[in-house]
Amino acid sequence: MIPRFLEGIRFADLTWAGAGPFSTKLFSDFGAEVIKVESLSRPDPVRVGGPFKDGKPGIDRSGYFASRNTRKKSLCMNMKHDESREILFDLIRRSDVVSNNFGPGAMDRLGLGYEDVKAIKPDIIYLSMPMYGEDGPFANLVGVGMTISAVTGLMWQTGYENEAPLGPGTHFPDHAANPYHAAFAVMAALRHRRATGRGMKIDLAQVESTINCMGLSFLEYAVTGEERPRLGNRSAHHAPHGIFRCAGEDEWCAVAVTSDAQWRSFCEILGAKSLADDRSLDSAAGRLAAADRIEADLSRWTAVRTAEEVMHAMQARGVPAGVVAHSKYLIERDAQLAARGYWQTLDHPEIGPSRFTSPPYRLDGERVELARPPLIGEHTEAVLGGILGYGPERIAELRAKGALE
Amino acid sequence: MTDDRLPQPYSGVRILDLTGELGGYCGRLFADLGAEVIRIEPPGGAEDRRSEPVGPDGRSIPFRFLNVNKKSVTLDLASPDGRAVLRDLVAASQVVLYEAGPDRDSMLADIASVPGGRVTTVFSYFGVTGPYADFAGSDLVAQALGGIAWLSGEPGKPPLQLAGRQSVFVTSLYAAAATAVSLWDTERTGASHVLDVSAQECIAHSLQNAVQVYDLESKISRRGGEGTRDATESAFVCADGYVFLAAPLALVASWGGVLAWMKEEGFAGAARLSEPDWQNRGLRATEPMKVEFRKIFEDFVRTKTKAELRDVALARKICMAPVSRVADLEADPQLAFRRYFGRLADGTAFPGAPYRLSEPVWSVGRDAPASGQDDEAVLGPLRAASRH
Repeated sequence: MIPRFLEGIRFADLTWAGAGPFSTKLFSDFGAEVIKVESLSRPDPVRVGGPFKDGKPGIDRSGYFASRNTRKKSLCMNMKHDESREILFDLIRRSDVVSNNFGPGAMDRLGLGYEDVKAIKPDIIYLSMPMYGEDGPFANLVGVGMTISAVTGLMWQTGYENEAPLGPGTHFPDHAANPYHAAFAVMAALRHRRATGRGMKIDLAQVESTINCMGLSFLEYAVTGEERPRLGNRSAHHAPHGIFRCAGEDEWCAVAVTSDAQWRSFCEILGAKSLADDRSLDSAAGRLAAADRIEADLSRWTAVRTAEEVMHAMQARGVPAGVVAHSKYLIERDAQLAARGYWQTLDHPEIGPSRFTSPPYRLDGERVELARPPLIGEHTEAVLGGILGYGPERIAELRAKGALE
Repeated sequence: MTDDRLPQPYSGVRILDLTGELGGYCGRLFADLGAEVIRIEPPGGAEDRRSEPVGPDGRSIPFRFLNVNKKSVTLDLASPDGRAVLRDLVAASQVVLYEAGPDRDSMLADIASVPGGRVTTVFSYFGVTGPYADFAGSDLVAQALGGIAWLSGEPGKPPLQLAGRQSVFVTSLYAAAATAVSLWDTERTGASHVLDVSAQECIAHSLQNAVQVYDLESKISRRGGEGTRDATESAFVCADGYVFLAAPLALVASWGGVLAWMKEEGFAGAARLSEPDWQNRGLRATEPMKVEFRKIFEDFVRTKTKAELRDVALARKICMAPVSRVADLEADPQLAFRRYFGRLADGTAFPGAPYRLSEPVWSVGRDAPASGQDDEAVLGPLRAASRH
């Protein structure tokens, strides 16, 4: 289905790179008109960052860009040109939301700070997503997603037992915590405007957003005064709980026994009479104390089975277990994602047919159908002519002056 | 604190919260913006009230974090009477959040049987359709089958889970945003919607560019970023802990800033890092260069503290920051400046808003409810209505 739930809502979307566009994608996928304002002279870093179709670079060939910008429109202009601000103001007057994820002060320097924008569109919803906030002593600290992991405790707590902190292998906060907190805030702002007629500014400091996703760890520290050491794949409360090597090259399966009933099933699956008969292992505390021994037995058992065999044997008896999936496994082998129609193939003039992840839910029994991302500047004339009402001469003149790219 | 004169964005919206941990943060987000979010618990209390860790007062810490600002009503959903009351509550609600359990099919049928337009959001680890619909889930298993564990950790060691039960947050965030969008439509058109949210799919949707790297370039992204992650992108030992640095060639100012800083301090390693092989992106992502950079950089920052390094980062525009412990967060000068952390009524420090809104419509006021504390307030009016 193509849900037109947000039809009639327009974004002047200045976000770029990862977190910002992933946030506004929710709106375009649900029928809002998201006009991505971009520039050829200073292109979105993910447009030039790849991966590219067949490894060949090109401004319209990036799969990373494609995955963050489905169903959006592209307006391409020189943001530093004298006349670009006027064009943007015209667009903003006809928009509901202005979104950006530049560093603090960048929008002000473009003459597009909240006060500037509010002056021409008093009920605008204005989303900013700076890393550490718009003000304060470290507002100008340069950062990437991993920096956010570093300063929020996520990196400190993620790592192997008794080794150094590693953090997530990706710029993790860019890919869920920050974009979806931002999207939720924009929806709340739209409701607030509908109820009161008032717009608002959303200052989403990505560090502050991410600390909420570390909320369980933070509150544990606040309540107990103690911070847990790194646990690797173990749990502080249950055992066995880990990722175990299976037969095959770099194959692994996660197993987590989280209740007494699961423990009894687990012992039967392994045929481990010595574990089953050991009364000291009847409680979670007893199992935790014997984690090394239990995990050694389990490792011997998994080492001669494939990860899928381990998963299915455990799951058949209600024990949580899952293959440690990589991208190829997810796309080509995972039976659940395939059965639920998770992968969509969209055609694209430069990339050709390629794979996209669906929004991670089924809606009314169907998938939300995606539409391909825009080529750079693909909708410049349509936006200027159709939405802003500029005539062909004006557009030609702006192009001649270098305001459009 | 909220301004009484201004309604909150979700004022007047009633949400029945039949989730446990996986969907807990979704209801929190709505409650903090004014929705009346009612946890429905069985007699004796919801299972996640016993979720560990437990504080010295005997209360579950995860339960507390995920249920602030919510109400609690006791209902025995195993009894026909309890189900009848549930249907009455559903009729009076705009949103139902339901975490799939053994009673999934009958619960979904009951919820769907109630007339009126509303959004029903169903949480599960793998979705309610497909061959894994009845699989047992956990945070670790969702991180494994979703693909994030594979990408984390070091080569030669097992893939690694992320700390802090991240599948709870990722799932609840996607669900909350989609629920909000669907509710917008329900309010406009009266149409009901059902969202079937899968934790596995949520994680798989958040793998940076790993899916596209395989699809377009036939490469499997690997933990440790072998061949892709720059030698500088890591946590390094410094005088009082660890510092995170990112200075790949693509971050021109950051790499240039590191070299200039080393030279100004007369550090010998700068000469080595100025040699031509450090201008080669591919080489910089290989294991030998990673080992070499770690040695050079850790020699350089061995005597420097996290705070000193942060000041250098600010002055020189280097992408570098302390690796903070959770215990450090309250004292972080930036967060202190922004008065980020709040307090619950008993004085416990608590994370502040994930977004600062220019309108005063967000608040964390009420601590997580006692089991059934709102029975009379919520169920009383229903009973009165059914008597008439």
